Amino acid sequence: MKSLQEQIEEVIRNEPVAVFMKGTPDRIMCGNSLRALQALHAARAPITAVDVLPDPRIRQELQALSGWPTIPQVFVKGELIGGADITEELHASGELERRLDEALGPDRPQEVRVVALELGAS
Amino acid sequence: MEAETIRALLAQAFPEASALEVEDRTGTGDHFHVTVVSPAFDGLPLLEQHRRVNDALAAELADGSIHELRITTRGTA
Repeated sequence: MKSLQEQIEEVIRNEPVAVFMKGTPDRIMCGNSLRALQALHAARAPITAVDVLPDPRIRQELQALSGWPTIPQVFVKGELIGGADITEELHASGELERRLDEALGPDRPQEVRVVALELGAS
Repeated sequence: MEAETIRALLAQAFPEASALEVEDRTGTGDHFHVTVVSPAFDGLPLLEQHRRVNDALAAELADGSIHELRITTRGTA
């Protein structure tokens, strides 16, 4: 089985838009995760969500990789965009949509999917 | 923790700030909204601006004394 770190790296690297959040898009557990998702939806982003709540190690490994201390964290094509505040601000200025157009094209699909990490033994 | 404590940490990290506000959003001393306007942010991408605020409060974020942090930053240019 791949380590947590490897699994997180893969999601960040391979998914067009990765969102590490509290809960999942159909069961959002935190207002900030909600704000980030709303901005991404409004900017017509595809979303691959990873719930960090099942195990505190997910958050630890993610923070070690990204250097970002808070949840949610939004990545577009492997690059950290920021948390809820930045995602909202970039959406309000039109910059988020512009970046998504640039990275994924204007005809991007808008699927929402959830990736559950394999936790293994602690 | 007190909003004033956070304000002092930010004032230390951003001595040139022209505006520093800390709002205790819930009155419970752990959900804060900080606003920092500083020439130190001029020309920096938003991600980098927020990173600097996070860095200034790294210990408080790490030990959970800040449970939620909203950040608004602006340069002065």
